[in-house]
Amino acid sequence: MTDGARHPIVSLRDVEKFYGSYHALRGISMDIGEGEFFSLLGPSGCGKTTLLRTIAGFEEVSSGHVLLDGQNMDGVAPNRRPTNMVFQSYAIFPHLSVAENVGFGLRRSGLAGDEKARAVDEALAMVGLAGYGARSAQALSGGQRQRVALARALILKPRVLLLDEPLSALDKKMREQMQSELRRLQRHVGITFILVTHDQEEALIMSDRIAVMFEGEIAQLATPQELYRRPVSREVADFIGVMNFLPAEIRMGSGTAVEADIAGLGPAAIDSAQCPGALRPGRAEVGLRPETMTILPEGAPGEGHVAQGVVAEQSYYGDMTYYVVRLDGVDQTVTLSMKNRIGRAVLEPGMPARVSWDPRALLVFSG
Amino acid sequence: MKGRGLFFYAGIYLLFLYAPIILLPIFAFNDSTIIAFPLSGFTTGWFAELATIDALHDAVRNSLFIAVLTAIFSTLLGLCAARAATRYRFPARGGLMTLIMTPLVLPEIIVAVSLLVVMVQLLDLRLSSWTVIAAHTLICTPFCIAILNSSFQNLDASLEEAAIDLGESRFSTFRLVTLPLVMPGIIAALLISFTISLDEFIIAFFLTGSEPTLPVYIWGLLRFPQRLPAVMALGTILVALSILLLIVAEYFRRRGVARAGKEDSGGFL
Ligand SMILES: Nc1ncnc2c1ncn2[C@@H]1O[C@H](COP(=O)(O)OP(=O)(O)OP(=O)(O)O)[C@@H](O)[C@H]1O
Ligand SMILES: [Mg+2]
Repeated sequence: MTDGARHPIVSLRDVEKFYGSYHALRGISMDIGEGEFFSLLGPSGCGKTTLLRTIAGFEEVSSGHVLLDGQNMDGVAPNRRPTNMVFQSYAIFPHLSVAENVGFGLRRSGLAGDEKARAVDEALAMVGLAGYGARSAQALSGGQRQRVALARALILKPRVLLLDEPLSALDKKMREQMQSELRRLQRHVGITFILVTHDQEEALIMSDRIAVMFEGEIAQLATPQELYRRPVSREVADFIGVMNFLPAEIRMGSGTAVEADIAGLGPAAIDSAQCPGALRPGRAEVGLRPETMTILPEGAPGEGHVAQGVVAEQSYYGDMTYYVVRLDGVDQTVTLSMKNRIGRAVLEPGMPARVSWDPRALLVFSG
Repeated sequence: MKGRGLFFYAGIYLLFLYAPIILLPIFAFNDSTIIAFPLSGFTTGWFAELATIDALHDAVRNSLFIAVLTAIFSTLLGLCAARAATRYRFPARGGLMTLIMTPLVLPEIIVAVSLLVVMVQLLDLRLSSWTVIAAHTLICTPFCIAILNSSFQNLDASLEEAAIDLGESRFSTFRLVTLPLVMPGIIAALLISFTISLDEFIIAFFLTGSEPTLPVYIWGLLRFPQRLPAVMALGTILVALSILLLIVAEYFRRRGVARAGKEDSGGFL
């Protein structure tokens, strides 16, 4: 699933963007493969929309180049680029019917009237809105507007479909449904999708690859699994999912052996592969995902690495329970998640907890 | 108690505002050349008399000509200004817009006198309907900008971008998306500036040449007491027409707001 295997359809070469003196995009270079579902993920204001609009041609780059299918797009207007966009507000034309909206881009296609009508019907059927053509665009729900916007963009068979937070206006149920529908649709049409989102879960679920952006820069470009398991920095690790950070002291042993002495958890042997940066002796932080720790049942034998603590908070999610455990001896808490199995009691705040953890799941971020 | 006081105040206010206007139709249908109570009888004769005055017809024709052209010019200018103000960022945008809007609050007599000086003394123009059109365009444009500004502000910029993204040029986007969506605003601007120009007296009085506009002609009629009831009849027609035009204009403005799917931020009515 890496870009090496695919023909690059979008290539960014040292793209810089300034708004006056504000540096919105900082030296962005990457290739996005043909047929890929690619996400731009980052906090609000990091430049995701700016980057998307640069690819679409609505923003000019201050320096650097955007290549689409190998063609340099310098000075090429948005209406001459092989991209189409689904806007955050959907931008459905309120004075036109659903069919007129969907067929809008076909005005210049040279298709005959009945061919156009057929193409519109097909596009509507593809997004599950068959028979809605005659409706006024204003008489649509949020989810339906979203589908009309998709059909309107896809009817032109663009090489790249750009989506700016297309699901953020929908409620949770609708959003989850549209996530899988979008994914299915993308596989069906085989068009490259570039999705902008600030929802890390959404990016993980849907994407082949994700570019995490902070303050106009790409912090990491990776598959969802790589991103979750091997974040390259503390910031990325913090942004993707939940991560516990604990202060630690790194000691180099003889040969390749490295030992970390972790506050509240104790010592553990680690591998240099567990450190994304350069592994240096001295102060560092270790990261642990909640699902890599468990609370041992009372009386169970404690093998391996076990730390003692007290439940400080508990949140019950039905299938899972999240616990915040205060570790004995240090002013430090860890968050961990447990599957709710039959026969497993849900612990209440104040109860003692023995936390079992696995040194292989540790990530070390040297300061 | 306080509420009742305010209510009383509002009642008095409305009475002073509308009593003279209500008197217009009353005396227009009164069968007497003297404008006074008690009323003597019902007649439509004054309206019939209007049909026989040729000078009046010329004035009406002249006023319509001026009002139509004023409406077109000021709406076109307003369209450009409102479009630029809402879509483009340029230096001194705020200051420039304030400058354009000031004729809205300048005393009309000042505008009239200074325009007279400029046109006659400096530019050496002959006073005609065209000088009135130019002056009316000046005072109507701010109203058009105000109306069209709200139309453009209600228009989501991504609608235009979407049309361009779907392959249209800037010009065809304007024709296919922008224009239909701000059309209600354009119609409202046309109607409002038409009404303002038709009613306007001071500037027209200063700047007309040999062909008076309707308000100027009416003012001339006041010197002949026997014509007064006919003036009342004419006034009645004008008031009815003005109200009708304003209602139509407001209807289009509201439809525009509804069409763009936005909250109503208040208009002129
Ligand atoms: N036209 C503009 N003029 C000046 N600054 C701008 C302009 N557009 C965006 N910016 C700035 O550039 C930065 C990036 O904006 P952008 O819209 O790309 O963020 P984003 O990542 O899409 O955020 P969000 O998740 O909130 O949509 C922001 O700080 C924003 O204020
Ligand atoms: Mg954005």
